[in-house]
Amino acid sequence: MSDDGRLALSLTLNGQPCEVEVVPCDTLLDLLRDQLGLTGTKKGCDMGACGACTVLANGRRIKSCLALALAYDGEAITTIEGIGTLEHPHPLQEAFIRHDALQCGYCTPGQILSGIALLEEKPKDVAAISEGMSGNLCRCGAYPNIVAAIAELAGL
Amino acid sequence: MSRESTPRWEAALKVTGRAVFPAEVQAEGLLHAVLAEAPIARGQILSVDATQARLTPGFADLVSYAEAEPLRASSVTALIRESVIHFPGQPVALVVAESLIAARAAARAVRVTYEPQPAISALAQALDRAYAPAMAGRIPAASRRGNSEAALADAHLVVSERYETAVNNHHPMEPHAVVCSWDGASVTVHTNTQAVFGTRAAIAHAFRMPVEDARVIARFLGGGFGCKGQLWWPWMMLAMLASRRTGRPVRLELTRAQLFTLAGRRQETVQDMALGFGLDGRLTAIEHHVLAQTSTHAEYSDTTAGVSRWLYACPNVTTSHRLVRTNEPQPIPMRAPGVAPGTFALESALDEAAARLGLDPMDLRARNYADHDQDAGRPWSSNSLLECYRVGAERFGWSRRPASGTAIDGRWRIGWGMATTCYPAHRQPCRARVRLEADASLLVQCGTQDMGSGTYTAMGQMAADALGVPMSRVTVELGDTLLPEGPFSGGSQVTASLSPAVAMATTTLRGRLANLAVADPESPLAGHKPEDLDFENGMIRARAGNVAEPLVDLRARRAPEGLEAEGSADGPDREGQAFTGMGFGAVFVEVGVDPDLGETRVRRVCGAFAAGRILNPLLAKSQYVGGLIGGIGMALHERTVTDRASGRILGASFADYLIPTHADMPEFDIAMVDELDPLLPGGVKGVGMLGTAGVQAAIANAVFHAVGKRVRHLPIRIEDLIGD
Repeated sequence: MSDDGRLALSLTLNGQPCEVEVVPCDTLLDLLRDQLGLTGTKKGCDMGACGACTVLANGRRIKSCLALALAYDGEAITTIEGIGTLEHPHPLQEAFIRHDALQCGYCTPGQILSGIALLEEKPKDVAAISEGMSGNLCRCGAYPNIVAAIAELAGL
Repeated sequence: MSRESTPRWEAALKVTGRAVFPAEVQAEGLLHAVLAEAPIARGQILSVDATQARLTPGFADLVSYAEAEPLRASSVTALIRESVIHFPGQPVALVVAESLIAARAAARAVRVTYEPQPAISALAQALDRAYAPAMAGRIPAASRRGNSEAALADAHLVVSERYETAVNNHHPMEPHAVVCSWDGASVTVHTNTQAVFGTRAAIAHAFRMPVEDARVIARFLGGGFGCKGQLWWPWMMLAMLASRRTGRPVRLELTRAQLFTLAGRRQETVQDMALGFGLDGRLTAIEHHVLAQTSTHAEYSDTTAGVSRWLYACPNVTTSHRLVRTNEPQPIPMRAPGVAPGTFALESALDEAAARLGLDPMDLRARNYADHDQDAGRPWSSNSLLECYRVGAERFGWSRRPASGTAIDGRWRIGWGMATTCYPAHRQPCRARVRLEADASLLVQCGTQDMGSGTYTAMGQMAADALGVPMSRVTVELGDTLLPEGPFSGGSQVTASLSPAVAMATTTLRGRLANLAVADPESPLAGHKPEDLDFENGMIRARAGNVAEPLVDLRARRAPEGLEAEGSADGPDREGQAFTGMGFGAVFVEVGVDPDLGETRVRRVCGAFAAGRILNPLLAKSQYVGGLIGGIGMALHERTVTDRASGRILGASFADYLIPTHADMPEFDIAMVDELDPLLPGGVKGVGMLGTAGVQAAIANAVFHAVGKRVRHLPIRIEDLIGD
């Protein structure tokens, strides 16, 4: 522990080793946004109710605002910055653009990460996609297009 | 112009997380701000003691009403300059510190003493003090044509009922935020405002500085829906004060809970509606009287009864709006302001009348079609409502509507309902600049902001189409007061305002390019008439003969520095207009109601809308669907509840304030009815609000059709539908 109570934390962040120091009450979300400048992960409610802060922890979707950063020591975290780039977007990112599955774009990174994890969970039909995506709120109302984009990749 | 469904211009930035929202702007030496809030509903601040707060590690500064006092007095700065508490949760101080955690700790350590006073925490507690405001939104609060009292007395049928709508909160997914920094006497403010120019004017007024010294930037907004406006300014200004005092950049982000109190709300309404009908089912009288909440520090009334003045033909119409001041947060416009709650009352009452008259609800509406705006006494610029009924009914299958209460699907009772929607076509003054760059790409600029509705795309498309340049070669810049001044985002007006300004700029640019081409002996177009040239696929082409020249070649020879033009358009002269611009639509809904559990599910929605020329059907459809989903939330989910004892908001989170989720989605079918409007500039009407209204009543009417229960308040909840 350093003098100001900070503790060392090591992550694999978007495939790269990442060594940082955090205070015990730092959330993974604040670590990403404030300390590491990875602002693609959004803060919508900071209470685990909207899904805008969704990231992948070892491939599984979690709400980073409810995750204490230290609890993920040694684990692999994937944020939207590790999913695709402007030049080489992920197929789900391309599908979002094609289906106009976004408006303001603030919930979009969380929807995409949640969608990528959901695809790994092998939803059996479109209703399972809607159900499985319901932790990700969107206020503009892009829901039908988001589900259409995920369904396209799921082959449903 | 083409009707291209090009993808959202900025979509790649958003899906990759590369779009930088205002709170995310990086600044060296940034301080984090947290607001300290009053626990009382009404009273006077006696003292603010920062002793303990200053001892908190990382503390940098505190600003309260004493520090804000030098700001110029106005309705905007009153809440931060004065020591009066108007509602629970009102900020009394702002603390800045080295980290967010430190700022939170320091804000908790601020000791404030109050002299509490008796507070009014419900509209019903002060009915005797209801008063009539002068204006309801943009229209006079009261209206009268004919004699509704006499007409109601003579009517064949009278439907007289009270309808109520709850308080709603906007809740854009992105909370309000500011990152500000001063450089001497000038300031740069990154904030997610729906009005960068209005924000700049407010800053300049409050801080007693020329507008040129304040730059407001909002490249992206994570939604707005009406709440990213003036109610945010006082808290933003506290952050700016702290930044000026410390000489460091400051960031303030509202919490989700603060979006219930500090950023506005849709006001609750109590609407008394009386409709009179003749034997033929024609309306002979409408009375629509609205009671609504406003705060003790500001006044706002939605245009709730407005729809009753213009939507249907009726010779005798009386409407009024009255307000009650309570110690609750201040209401402001929210998604289809006025029209959403107003159509709930009017369209529910019409459905009740149809049932009692034994008429089909859609036929009753068509029978009362207004062939001109009877409120203003002038023609519509266009009105395709009858076509919306026809198209919507056909796609929905309305003619196969089962008898009430007879359709059953498992545990679900099925009901069909419909309603009319409308929204006025607004427009504001606007300037825009279009530049043909050295590489023959286009740069299109306007200071107005895109809150997620598609302004980047619409504006890029207008310029691209006019100059025959592909969208991939267009760069759009928005959301910066250094750019040409454009309108605020609200009332579904930005596209309509931009359209004539961009058209003027592109027409000028085309004219100059055409003149250069025909006068240039080196051009294959030399000697042609400028007006005979077309711009398409990066080429300038003569209409006669197979002659063309790439834009890039002409520019290289004749305008090596590039070429630019500005366009501008005034807002409409409202009083002087010879016509009324209005978008119309018809919404058809199927619901399932489980009578044992009281659960209501919207199963499918068909909306047929006519809103003039549609620039991009892909994005317009998203806007309509998004509006309908907002309307579903208002109809079935959303209700902000005040604890009447403390005056505080109960359950100020998404755990308790329910908004529609993926799992709540019905099947949507959107019909965009072709409408040529020769009178409105560009033929463009707003889209966003049109989908948001009407659907609430359509759902309530469908619930009645399913189970025979008439619910006259929103939201319709489980407790309304269980039991007998």
